[in-house]
Amino acid sequence: MNEHLLAAEGIVAGYDKKVIIDGIDLVIPSNKISVIIGANGCGKSTLLKTFARLIKPTSGDIVLDGKQISSYPSKSLAQKLGLLPQSPVVPEGITVFDLICRGRFPYRTMMKGMNKADFEAVEEAMEIMGITELANRSVDELSGGQRQRVWIALALAQQTDILLLDEPTTFLDIAYQVEILDLLTKLNQERGTTIVMVLHDINLSARYADYLFAVAKGELIVQGTPQEIISSELMKEVFSLDCQVIEDPVAGSPLIVPIGKYHQAT
Amino acid sequence: MKIRKKLVLFIAILAAILFCVLLSLAWGSRSIPFAEIIDILTGKGGDSFNVDVVRTRIPRTIFGILAGAALGVSGALMQSITRNPIADPSILGVNTGASLFVVCGIAFFNINLPQQYIWFALVGGSLTSAFVYAVASIGGEGATPLKLALSGAAVSMAFGSLVSTVMLPKSNVMDDFRFWQVGSIGGAGWDDIKIIVPYLLFGFVIAICLVPSLNSLALGDEMATSLGVNTKLTRGLGALAGVLLCGATTALAGPIGFVGLMIPHFMRSLFGPDLKYIMPMSAFGGACLLVISDVMGRLAGSPGELEVGIVTAFLGAPVFIMVARKAKVKSL
Amino acid sequence: MMSNKNAFIWEGYQKRRRRVAVITTVLIILIALCAVVMMTFGNTVYSLDTVFRVLKGEEIKGATFTIKTLRLPRLLVGLLSGLAFGVAGNTFQTLLRNDLASPDIIGVTSGSSAAAVFCILILHMSGTAVSVISLLAGLLVAGVIYFLSFGKGFSKGRLILIGIGAQAMLNAVTSFVLLKGSEYDVPTALRWMNGSLNGVKLDRVPGLLVTVVTMTIAIVMLGRYLQILQLGDDSAITLGVKVQVAYIGLIFASVFLIAFATSVSGPIASVAFLSGPIASRLIGKGRVNTLPAGLVGALLVLASDLIGQFALGTRYPVGVITGILGAPYMLFLLVRMNKKGESVS
Repeated sequence: MNEHLLAAEGIVAGYDKKVIIDGIDLVIPSNKISVIIGANGCGKSTLLKTFARLIKPTSGDIVLDGKQISSYPSKSLAQKLGLLPQSPVVPEGITVFDLICRGRFPYRTMMKGMNKADFEAVEEAMEIMGITELANRSVDELSGGQRQRVWIALALAQQTDILLLDEPTTFLDIAYQVEILDLLTKLNQERGTTIVMVLHDINLSARYADYLFAVAKGELIVQGTPQEIISSELMKEVFSLDCQVIEDPVAGSPLIVPIGKYHQAT
Repeated sequence: MKIRKKLVLFIAILAAILFCVLLSLAWGSRSIPFAEIIDILTGKGGDSFNVDVVRTRIPRTIFGILAGAALGVSGALMQSITRNPIADPSILGVNTGASLFVVCGIAFFNINLPQQYIWFALVGGSLTSAFVYAVASIGGEGATPLKLALSGAAVSMAFGSLVSTVMLPKSNVMDDFRFWQVGSIGGAGWDDIKIIVPYLLFGFVIAICLVPSLNSLALGDEMATSLGVNTKLTRGLGALAGVLLCGATTALAGPIGFVGLMIPHFMRSLFGPDLKYIMPMSAFGGACLLVISDVMGRLAGSPGELEVGIVTAFLGAPVFIMVARKAKVKSL
Repeated sequence: MMSNKNAFIWEGYQKRRRRVAVITTVLIILIALCAVVMMTFGNTVYSLDTVFRVLKGEEIKGATFTIKTLRLPRLLVGLLSGLAFGVAGNTFQTLLRNDLASPDIIGVTSGSSAAAVFCILILHMSGTAVSVISLLAGLLVAGVIYFLSFGKGFSKGRLILIGIGAQAMLNAVTSFVLLKGSEYDVPTALRWMNGSLNGVKLDRVPGLLVTVVTMTIAIVMLGRYLQILQLGDDSAITLGVKVQVAYIGLIFASVFLIAFATSVSGPIASVAFLSGPIASRLIGKGRVNTLPAGLVGALLVLASDLIGQFALGTRYPVGVITGILGAPYMLFLLVRMNKKGESVS
């Protein structure tokens, strides 16, 4: 279980001169599951993308183990930090196995084929995600949930200690959402992988996250464990939502219940 | 917009046409001073050789005005019935379809009369544009600009090759066809004008009558139907008039692209979205554009002539690109 | 390599690799067959023995001229141009993740062709200088349509649409140049609009050969990046690909191929567009088929040229035949794409 220090130091970032993140400092807890929450357009995806170096901050730095991520060679950073983008592209007709093999790119050198370590990594990734039997199937034929597992397997084959995921459960049915989050928990517990993700659903975030970062209007409002920070005041501040917070009868984590105009809080 | 401003614009366009006509009579491989042209036109005489030159330039210019007006209106019609900003007869394949049919007619049926050209071109143009539109409409979101452009490009590619296949073995066809294929009004005479006028008149009348229905169609099929418009009939008549105008022109002048794309866009930016103005103004604008393009072709090509179809493609493609740039990503 | 219980995965992997090898071999054999037919058939039929003796340098009356001056350059230029168009088209299509984004649809080939015809007919240049200028023109067109397609946000749909517009404009330029060069006879026009192998000379072969070999090797080496770029730019960055560098390198190499081939044989219609999709249909999709696509391109050009020369009574230039082949496939592709409801953007 390797420990890593991943931190944002005063980052400002955005698109085309429009500032979306305005000065965020945070440290990602190593070997834990962290979830970034916030309303649409608050900058949570942008924050994740700056961690994954998809967006260059206009000022401030993302620092990994004491070095700016921009100073790492591309491939060696890719061996430490993996990302599952929100909408990756599936090449038409590719098989599951061939697709996951592409996750080994950071380890391969010019003109060399796949070696033993590469195959083992791919095999293990498929094993963990429970998709070994699908290996020779075409990715096009798979269901949404299976497809998402293939993409996570690709990120696993990359063998990084840190894994970033941008809304890995969007477009999935509720059953698949839980399945994917369970798999990520397993990954975190068995391998100690540091997981950072953006999730839409507050209640699932509260259940699966060890640590939460709440973002609003490009700034970090509060951080801490779900028990520490989730409250009706925070929901009001971050989502402009009136709600009541109760205890999740299954996991014991905080559970929010929206109130709305036509109902009364108890 | 105020009526007065529209009136001023209208007068400006008329003046522009007049100016283009003068240029068309004056410029070419032999240039004649404006003053002398006025003299010749008013019968005060002039250099006898110049009189002859001007006399041959008159039918060509009139033909240019008619063809340009037809192409402009045809474009405005196509754009409104498809509700698609890039629908131009040349993109819908009317030109290439007409070319293919005319070439086949020349090669296999020995047609050689302008009347026959027109009928072959009309059949070819309407079949092809219907086919292109049908291919582009398959699938959920209907005929988007991109799908329309691609279907048109595919069909043009196919027909272009077929035209070459038909033409190559027959050197006599090649000669007849050579200049026709790129679009030229250089050879137009009074006879051509007499032949084409009835078709064009018919097309213009339908176009004008359709204006109110087409204005409603712009709000979407459902809205138009609830406003009492028979959308199928409107589309059918609109397509008929569009093909008639463009096909007849193509039959005699060859394929001239992009006039129908450029002019309605330009008129829309001047007069707003009401077809009551766009339709007639597209006729005037088209006339203006075609005549001036013809003059440019004469100047750029000297000592020979550059066919007007090449000039309009060169001028029109940037407009096409501009329209593509302005479109929202989603509506492509 | 793999643990035994997962042997089936290994088998599947090997099977796919074998398929690549088999198809590649078959393509090479077919190309060789076409080459043999091209060298032996014609107005006079020569035996293979005669052909080899001539190629070894023996002087045989009649045969030496026909084979060395007429047939050999035709064969070599066809082979190399086909390879070039196939590889370049496939690279464009893979990079832009769209079969329609082929250089002969989005105007890059027309740009090279317009430049070449201008240099040859107006400036009376010849040889490598023409190729270099058409390279610059091709790069310029590629760059311009790329920058223009950032309207309100970049989209590939917009890029293709703008490319079609650019194509129309550049074809107008070619027509203009043909007219100005007083060369508007149909064969010359067809050469620069559709592509032709008629009358190609042996002295153009070495330059083309060097380009095709070096650039194809470059693209094959960059093929690993191409594979990763297929997954989308975000994934590629995460996996450690320097996306900008890879894009620029691949586009540059492809335009290089297209420009050199176009300046010799003209823009042989649809070959760039057809080769990649045919290769991936043969080999299995989801791979980067640089070499097979090149081979398919070469085969298309040689076979179409044979058809054009011998099968139809009249001698047609190769581009007319490939043009006719390309159009139905393009329609098929459109219909399929439209049915699936895929948006091109």
